[in-house]
Amino acid sequence: MNSGGATGETVAGPGGPALLTRASQAADRNFKYWMIFPAVLVILLIGLFPVIYTLIVSTQNLTMMDEDTTFHGLMHYRALLEDARFWESLLHTFIFVVVALPAELIFGLAMAYLFLERLPGRQIFVALLVLPVITSPIIAGATWRLLFDNRFGPINQILGWFAGEPVPILWTVDPNFVYPAILIAEIWQWTPFMFLLLLAALSNVDQSQIEAAELDGAGFWRTFTRIVLPAIWPVMAIAVLIRALDLFRLFDVIWALTRGGPGTSTETISIYAYVLGFQQFETSYTSAMAFLVIVILAVSITLILRRMEIDR
Amino acid sequence: MDRRKFVLSASALAGASAFGLPRLANAQAAKTAVEAAKQFAGTEISIVWEAGLQSLDPLNFSGPLWEKGTGIKVKVIEVPVAEMFTKILQEHRAGTGAYDALNVIPSWMPDLVRAGALEDLDPYVDKYGYRDELNAIAPVYRDNQMTVDGKIYGFPDDGDVFIMYYRKDILGDPKIQAAYKEKYGTDLPVPPKTWLEFDQVGSLITEVTGGKPYGAAFFREQAYGNFMFQERFRAEGGKFFDADTMKATINSPEGVKVLNDWVAENKWMPAGVETWGFVENLAAFLNGDTAMTVSWPPYGRWAAGYGTDEEALSWVPKSKVAGKVGYALPPGGHPQLAAGFALSVSSDSKNKDAAYLFIQWLNSAEISLERVQLPYALRDPFRDNHFASEEYKKLWPEAPEYLAALQAGAVSGLLDLSIIQTDRYEEGLRQAISRLWGGDDPQTILDETAASWDQVTDKIGIDKQKAAYQAWASKPNAYPK
Repeated sequence: MNSGGATGETVAGPGGPALLTRASQAADRNFKYWMIFPAVLVILLIGLFPVIYTLIVSTQNLTMMDEDTTFHGLMHYRALLEDARFWESLLHTFIFVVVALPAELIFGLAMAYLFLERLPGRQIFVALLVLPVITSPIIAGATWRLLFDNRFGPINQILGWFAGEPVPILWTVDPNFVYPAILIAEIWQWTPFMFLLLLAALSNVDQSQIEAAELDGAGFWRTFTRIVLPAIWPVMAIAVLIRALDLFRLFDVIWALTRGGPGTSTETISIYAYVLGFQQFETSYTSAMAFLVIVILAVSITLILRRMEIDR
Repeated sequence: MDRRKFVLSASALAGASAFGLPRLANAQAAKTAVEAAKQFAGTEISIVWEAGLQSLDPLNFSGPLWEKGTGIKVKVIEVPVAEMFTKILQEHRAGTGAYDALNVIPSWMPDLVRAGALEDLDPYVDKYGYRDELNAIAPVYRDNQMTVDGKIYGFPDDGDVFIMYYRKDILGDPKIQAAYKEKYGTDLPVPPKTWLEFDQVGSLITEVTGGKPYGAAFFREQAYGNFMFQERFRAEGGKFFDADTMKATINSPEGVKVLNDWVAENKWMPAGVETWGFVENLAAFLNGDTAMTVSWPPYGRWAAGYGTDEEALSWVPKSKVAGKVGYALPPGGHPQLAAGFALSVSSDSKNKDAAYLFIQWLNSAEISLERVQLPYALRDPFRDNHFASEEYKKLWPEAPEYLAALQAGAVSGLLDLSIIQTDRYEEGLRQAISRLWGGDDPQTILDETAASWDQVTDKIGIDKQKAAYQAWASKPNAYPK
């Protein structure tokens, strides 16, 4: 059946030219959708299919021993709600996010301010500062493990110079030091990422506005909050969002340093999911966990985006 | 076995050994495999092997030799040991048939068999006449690490066993011996045979020498500590489960004693020993910083300087203790048969006969004797002919003593726990050890670990797990006699 589209034969007759024009306009309007359709399809396949598949698997009962693909309802979701280790790992993840994120932001911003001036050797320093970002996180974790080594690691040695006696801190074992150790490694690696983005944003702030404010007697804080911050806000918000998502799936550095220990005290949601899914093959349970995390993240991000007003 | 049968068997064994029959038979299995495999010339088989040093064996030695003899190319798929189980199971689930032959840790075998990932090897063993030669594998490996539910799923191929290494010069030092006698009123035991003696000797050495060297050190890091706990817990008389109720019993007084003893020992061991793994412990012993340690067999070879000139072993510190090291069973006399490897065939292989013939050839007495002598590889003696090899005994001056210790371990060694989803239980133990080093109370740690074990058992099903546990516990080397 012909839908009466843009064929001249169908539109001929009374009012034909007007109809032809309208059809042509509609085709023009739809053309852009046809152009982006393949890309959207690919994104849906790549992005949405795994999510839907995860949801389906989470309602089955695939384990190491059983490949039971019958529908089990929300069995795993109910179990997750009662799984203390899941909630603890979520809490640990949250701790890493709320401590590391502001630290990276503040240090990144401070460094960006420092390098805003055209200092001699600036480009070399910037390039050196960016090195941690291009290091593989698992390599960074392994390197920090060596640095924290209580026998051969330089960190205890340097602390010992200040203390005047050997410092036997077990950074990767002692519950008092495992969080600082992980956070130091994480902040070291990703502060340069913040620094780079914020340096770019700061470089684009209109200097004439700042100079005008200074002439009017505005201090640093007032200038920063009224002029600089609004100017760099869109970039900063995106940087914070990217890092928050990265931190939420924190795995490598912790795996290299503590493997989630002592006990499960530094186990993040990613580590718990890895252990359950890929070492113990609790496939459906892990899928339920993954889907729940997706939901939590989706809701959180939506709320944050609205709050940040960067989705407009 | 009655006396008559024993005498007959012993006579037959002695006669066979005297006339070199095992060697003749051994040569046959390798030859049979090569001849039968020639029909598959021009094909390629893949084998999963632990990445790193382990895989230098098939890459540099056995793979090329097999290809030369049969025309079958061997593709070595290197996988880190921590990911081998996952990869094997994932490929099986996906049904890719990417792997033909496999290296599997024997304690994984029941899980892999239940998942259908391993091929039953019995028909192949009969078809290619390997049964007699298979039986010449040291009993502890043959009787414990080869079968699941009475069927052969893997050929034990690595005599992994914990051995105690001790400095003969330090334990024999008259000053230390005199101090020991003065303190404890008895002669210093060389080597210590109980954990009490070990503690006394080790702490005294540290006291007398001021830590140069320390009395001993171990790898305490959780992954290795898991094996050491399993050994020592059972040597103390502990049982993992109540065989009737399947309630975990690792929180028994024996378990708590082990953890308390560990904490006490750390005080006279090097600072930070809690974080030591394989390499840290090795470096300390080879450098002469510790007088005693317990580890896998390569420590003994490297301490003697055997193979450490090889480029592949350039990372191993040069031994400063060569010629000074004695070998013995760890205190308690029941070493852990920690990890080890068995050779299996993937049930998804598209070339099962060729894969089988390759592992028969690798595992044969003739070829395996060459493989366990490769200076860079990590396969340890596991066959009667390895322990008796005159060739091996000449590799370094103390090699006969070394082989004797390994052979003794191959009699009294203790199996790794191997039930349904063993890793879930071992994960609990690993976490328990890391909590111990974090300062938690041993009783609390083990109570909570036992509770987590019970949860796992409940989830798997008590009856199902009980049957698996009983099958494991009935093996000759599950618990000390």
